[in-house]
Amino acid sequence: MLPKESYIALLGNPNCGKSTLFNRLTGMRQSTSNLPGTTVEQKSGIWKFGSESRAIKDLPGIYSLYTHSEDEAVVVDHLLGNGKYAEPGYIIFLLDASNLRRNLLLFDQVSELGFPMVVALTMADTAIRRGIEIQEEKLAAQLNCKVCVINPRKGFGIDKLENNLLELPSKRMDSSEARNKLLAFRKGEKIPGISAETLGRYKKIEAIVKETVVKKETERISLTKRMDKIFTHPFLGFFIFASIMLTIFQGVFTLADYPMTWIENGFGQLANFLRNSLPDHFLTRLLTGGVIPGLSGVLVFLPQIAILFFFISLLEDSGYMVRASFITDKLMRKIGLNGRSVIPLIGGFACAIPSIMATRSIKNRSERYATMFVIPLMSCSARLPVYVLLVSLAVPAGTRIGPIGVQSLVMTLAYFSGIIVAVILARLIKIFKKSTAPSEFIMEMPPYQIPRMQTAWSNVRYKSMSFVKEAGKVIMVISLVLWFLASYGPGNEMEKAEAKVRSEKNLSSAEMETKVMAVRLESSYAGKMGKWIEPAISPLGYDWKTGIALISSFAAREVFVGTMSTLFQSSDAQQVEGIRAKMAKARDPESGKLLYGAPYAYSLILFYAFALQCMSTLAVMRRETGSWKLPVLQFIIFGAIAYVAAFGIFQLSLIL
Amino acid sequence: MKASELQIGQTARIVEIIEGYSSKKLMEMGCIPGTPLKLEFRSPGGDPLAFNIDGYVLGLRISEAENIIVEME
Repeated sequence: MLPKESYIALLGNPNCGKSTLFNRLTGMRQSTSNLPGTTVEQKSGIWKFGSESRAIKDLPGIYSLYTHSEDEAVVVDHLLGNGKYAEPGYIIFLLDASNLRRNLLLFDQVSELGFPMVVALTMADTAIRRGIEIQEEKLAAQLNCKVCVINPRKGFGIDKLENNLLELPSKRMDSSEARNKLLAFRKGEKIPGISAETLGRYKKIEAIVKETVVKKETERISLTKRMDKIFTHPFLGFFIFASIMLTIFQGVFTLADYPMTWIENGFGQLANFLRNSLPDHFLTRLLTGGVIPGLSGVLVFLPQIAILFFFISLLEDSGYMVRASFITDKLMRKIGLNGRSVIPLIGGFACAIPSIMATRSIKNRSERYATMFVIPLMSCSARLPVYVLLVSLAVPAGTRIGPIGVQSLVMTLAYFSGIIVAVILARLIKIFKKSTAPSEFIMEMPPYQIPRMQTAWSNVRYKSMSFVKEAGKVIMVISLVLWFLASYGPGNEMEKAEAKVRSEKNLSSAEMETKVMAVRLESSYAGKMGKWIEPAISPLGYDWKTGIALISSFAAREVFVGTMSTLFQSSDAQQVEGIRAKMAKARDPESGKLLYGAPYAYSLILFYAFALQCMSTLAVMRRETGSWKLPVLQFIIFGAIAYVAAFGIFQLSLIL
Repeated sequence: MKASELQIGQTARIVEIIEGYSSKKLMEMGCIPGTPLKLEFRSPGGDPLAFNIDGYVLGLRISEAENIIVEME
């Protein structure tokens, strides 16, 4: 039997039932981890059988060991014990009975590596429905390997699989020739004759199939075939696709709003409670003003992440995701993206954070990076309150062109401007960034199946955990910095400004408090920075107050509205309306012109549509790409586009 | 003829895979000379195409299917 410290690897083609078997064998004793430098999420767990228990790993499904994809090469690295991976002790090879020839190709390649191996034959019932009957004993003799039929969903055949494993020798056979060849391929050396080798293997496989498979004719049209008729129908297909996308969007946009409000209110109340009950000390302020809001700012993304990945997991598992790429491939290819870019892009209208994480299903690296790059240009839900305030400044309520309300028209244009720039950028990336692997769509379209809740749940749990652990740190640090900038100022200017307000006589206590907050913010470091950047932003039509709001809204875009209402000493009960009224009346003391008129509003709408004003997006980009390069590039490029666009529209509307 | 020229529901036998970037992958997915290939359906936009090959459905872009030379029976 296998030494204790070694592990068993599950190996096979994609969609052969590997993950289901893994779940069946390990139950809840499993964990997911992200293999460093790849998008590969690997599951490992403990399998208890009889008196034994062994570590077991679910390696990603692949079609061939000769792969150029970094993600798939992880499997090869495991088998060779290459780099940081230990090689497995035993292999359970899953053969999809309904697809024997193609599955046997990988089996034939792997068998040359000499591992002690057993074969688990899956999908035998599907095969029988298609009139394919496989003779187990004959197959075992041909493959020179123990074979048993299993049904991992129903748990059938697992005991036989255990028995077969117990009979395996404990050592790998010598296989240096095959290993060296694979190693050379892995190092990027040109190996001649791979095509001939593949054809040779298929010839051998054909002989095996002839010996072991009994084929009967069936007239049955499978359910999958009928479903595909509907799902890829020219009209119905698009209609179903659009409905599914709308449902997901609504889920992330609307449904997630409830738990998000609970999280924000809960942490807000906790901070208030601690502020009132703890002594006034630097540590109290750090805790209630910096740490707790920072924590809230991380956890508030969890509902959106959970809901998006729950839906994505259902779509992947059911087999629909491949169909969705299939029907959108042509359109997305035109703009240099991938069929699988659609869900992340639509999700971007709710929130960029889970959407950027969702690009992992895009296998082509340059298409994945291009998708991630443009996602923040989709106007997310955090931009909505900002747009609402600004649109109300730009257009008087009730203005109409014919039947169309002008306010909603401007709002729609704000959304479209982001989409248009995203399309242009994606095309430019395709033109200028030559990808190493040409785009391809060679994809198996597996039969539909009922999605498994356990898979969805473990996916949601893993995504949430890894976001909190990795992106959460960066968000926490930046929000602490922002808190410090807004709460402390140079010298004792804040105290002086506060004392001056407190000495005023004719103010009610509520008026006093809002005024104190405003002058404190004004004389804080953030306030100073707002004034300091004023020369840079005044060509766009912004004053120093807007500067402060721009800086503080880096925590989250909707903070813009809150900061402006603090600066305008507006009570936050009727936030948007109160702040709108005050901003609409404000005039430049020298020229007497409106400070926040329509040109200002249009300019700022465009600025928010384009600029990467979101620390969490930067944090999650860094985590997903493993470096600061792409997020910094995004920040600069989007910032430049935002600046130019805002400048253009402001100057233009001044002339008009 | 090329596999991309098949009509929906037509079956043909693969004669040759033209050498190119995707030829290795196509063979690994089971597209080898001698295997029957049936065009099952198209994407609503006409591209990609879905072929039935040896009992499973393989999605291919037209540009990829053009590298599969087939022969009607």
